[in-house]
Amino acid sequence: MTAPGLRRVAALLVTLALPSAAPAQAAAEGRVELAKPLHAPVMNKRYGIVSNGGVLSPFPPVAVVYLEGAFPRASMPPMARMVQKDLMFVPWLLPVQVGSRVEFPNLDDTYHNIFSYSPAKRFDLGRYRSDERPIPSVLFDVPGLVTLRCDIHEHMRALILVLDTPYFVVSDAEGGYRLDGLPGGRYVLKAWLDSKTTLERQVLLQSGATLRVDFP
Amino acid sequence: MTSPPEPRSPGFAGFRAKLLVAMMLVVSAVAAAVLLFAQRNVAENVRRDFQREFQGELAALHAVQDIRHAVLAERCRALARRPRIHAALEDNALDLLYPSARDELLGVMDRGDGPSREPGTFALRARFYRFLDGKGRVIPPPDAKDVGELRPGEESQLDLGALPDGPQVGYMRRGEDGAGGTIDEVIAMPIISSEDGEIISAIVLGFKPAEFGGGSAGIKSGILLNGRLDLPSLPASVRQGLAGEAARAIAAEGRTEGGYEVRAGGAPYLLFCKRLNPGSLFPAAYEVSIYPLAESLARQRQLVWQFAGGGALLLLGAFAASHLVASRLSKPVEKLAEDSEENRAQRYRAEAALESTSRELQRSARFSADASHQLKTPVTVLRAGLEELLAGETLSAEAREEVSALVHQTFRLAGVIEDLLLLSRMDAGRLQIQFSRLNLTPLIEAWLDDLGALPDALGLKVEADYPPSLWITGEKRYATLILQNLLENARKYNRAGGRIRITAREAGGWAILSVGNSGQPVPAEAREHIFERFHRGSVGENIPGHGIGLSLAKELARLHGGDLRLSRSDEEWTEFEVRFQLARASGEAGATG
Repeated sequence: MTAPGLRRVAALLVTLALPSAAPAQAAAEGRVELAKPLHAPVMNKRYGIVSNGGVLSPFPPVAVVYLEGAFPRASMPPMARMVQKDLMFVPWLLPVQVGSRVEFPNLDDTYHNIFSYSPAKRFDLGRYRSDERPIPSVLFDVPGLVTLRCDIHEHMRALILVLDTPYFVVSDAEGGYRLDGLPGGRYVLKAWLDSKTTLERQVLLQSGATLRVDFP
Repeated sequence: MTSPPEPRSPGFAGFRAKLLVAMMLVVSAVAAAVLLFAQRNVAENVRRDFQREFQGELAALHAVQDIRHAVLAERCRALARRPRIHAALEDNALDLLYPSARDELLGVMDRGDGPSREPGTFALRARFYRFLDGKGRVIPPPDAKDVGELRPGEESQLDLGALPDGPQVGYMRRGEDGAGGTIDEVIAMPIISSEDGEIISAIVLGFKPAEFGGGSAGIKSGILLNGRLDLPSLPASVRQGLAGEAARAIAAEGRTEGGYEVRAGGAPYLLFCKRLNPGSLFPAAYEVSIYPLAESLARQRQLVWQFAGGGALLLLGAFAASHLVASRLSKPVEKLAEDSEENRAQRYRAEAALESTSRELQRSARFSADASHQLKTPVTVLRAGLEELLAGETLSAEAREEVSALVHQTFRLAGVIEDLLLLSRMDAGRLQIQFSRLNLTPLIEAWLDDLGALPDALGLKVEADYPPSLWITGEKRYATLILQNLLENARKYNRAGGRIRITAREAGGWAILSVGNSGQPVPAEAREHIFERFHRGSVGENIPGHGIGLSLAKELARLHGGDLRLSRSDEEWTEFEVRFQLARASGEAGATG
């Protein structure tokens, strides 16, 4: 294992160990009221990301809850992964911290050609198959929403939400979330619902306490 | 007819000529009608065939064009679905729109390597492309070289003012206004957002229009755009004329599909107009297909001449046939005319003869009448003188007997004269029977009385058998005369001790009176002549009579509407039979009273 690889593993361990290692830290939990889909999306349920009136949203609905604030950037960019499986992206909604690298392994038998024209990140990985090594990856260094498409499969769509914070979580299907290991202090807690909707709350986090915050 | 017969009419030739002319007229009329009809029919068939051919060819061209349009539209539709283009439009990356499209359109764009293009009747390569923004305006490309260069005026022709909701076909004039200008076919395909289903843009591709025409029918097709016709193979003047005609045809609604004949540049054409882009947001463009009719008209003219020639030949033949038929037909008529001419002459001769005969007859009748009158007087005078002598005392008995015989002769003479007078009157047709109802029985009885008064030298036995009354129509005087003549004959020609038998009866609507005697038979050779005037049988001259009695009786019987004939004549019996018309029963009662 190379040195960067070791560093990466160590960072992962640190991240995972944080809540238990520092019980004094604050936590937030609550429920985000998710949009009730009036009807199932017209297209195949596998889509994950659906568009409705120009608004991209995950389906079934989930929210991304994150704490916004001026946090120091991690020295080692975390690694995330979005696979292409059965002609769709998994997961289809991926929040990452700015500076993260995301790799896109192709688990299908066919070619994929992932690209994005989103202002937050433009890239084009070109056509590759599952045996492509190294696994193509992209560094996301600008916060924002990145729409991913496949040039070959026009229906494939995924969102990568690049956040300028290490504290974020994807809610469960009912909107419930819990964020642990938060620093105490005044912050803004945000809930991303879709490409046009982000709710926010001013929160005062106290160490060792769990703050209940519901959206809205 | 008293006019002399005309000389043989000189009109036979005229008749024949008239017949010929009439036949010729009929034949000519029929032939002309048939030829005209046939010519019309053939011309119409030719025209219809031609139109069918023309339309068939046009339909084939249109089918090819439709396929081409479908292919082009499908190509555009595929382009409009490309994820990169959608990404550029939907993900706010317009700067990437044309670069992305360039890659996508690599296989579509015509890079100007014309000669290497595979030969075909139409090209599927695009000459340029542009995207339209949400308002239907052209999104300017960063580098016109990559997307096919267009002049500003040309590019503005692509502005639709709104985004189309379906594929649109348009035509665009490119290049100079002069001869170098060409027309490009433009297809606009809407791009529908994959996010919200809205039409967010449109891709417009320009193609070189397919070149059709030059087919076997000589069809030339061009495109009429904004009142200008693009048909380079025609001279400008003809082109302008045709453009005007086509514009007029298009202005008259409903005629854009049909073909009709126009003149342009002094030459006739068959013109078809068809809207190429019905319902399009682009300016209306029409396909104008023309077919030069000069050749077809020449063919028709040739056909007309052929028909005329055929007609002339036919007429010539008809003339000959008519001549033949007329002469044959006129032959029996001529014969008839000749015959009738002869008949006329004969009739004239007969009439003339009849007339002279009639004149002579009249003259002779008049002469007889005159003579009778002239004779009657001296006979009367003679008799008066003789009777005076008889009345005198001076005559001896012998002389008295002589004179008495002379007096008797004067009676006979007077009777002859009377009969002659009657006959002559009959001959002249002056004798008119005054018909009335007449009972025959008293006449018979009167005669029987007279007979009884006459000296009966022969010792005749008279038998009579008649009904109490027998009514006939006639004049008493002449009926009596008939009876008297017959009975006189029966008496005169009888033998001594003979019989006379008188019977009268009704039979078959006639009153039949038979007078028979047992005298000598009429010889067979004389029977035909006994009713002729002045005929006397072979009887001796000692029997009084002058040979006109039977003749007179027969004539009178005929004048009465009846007849007299010899009904039997043999050794034992000679019998005459006269028949009269029965009087009608209506007046019987009055007359018998």
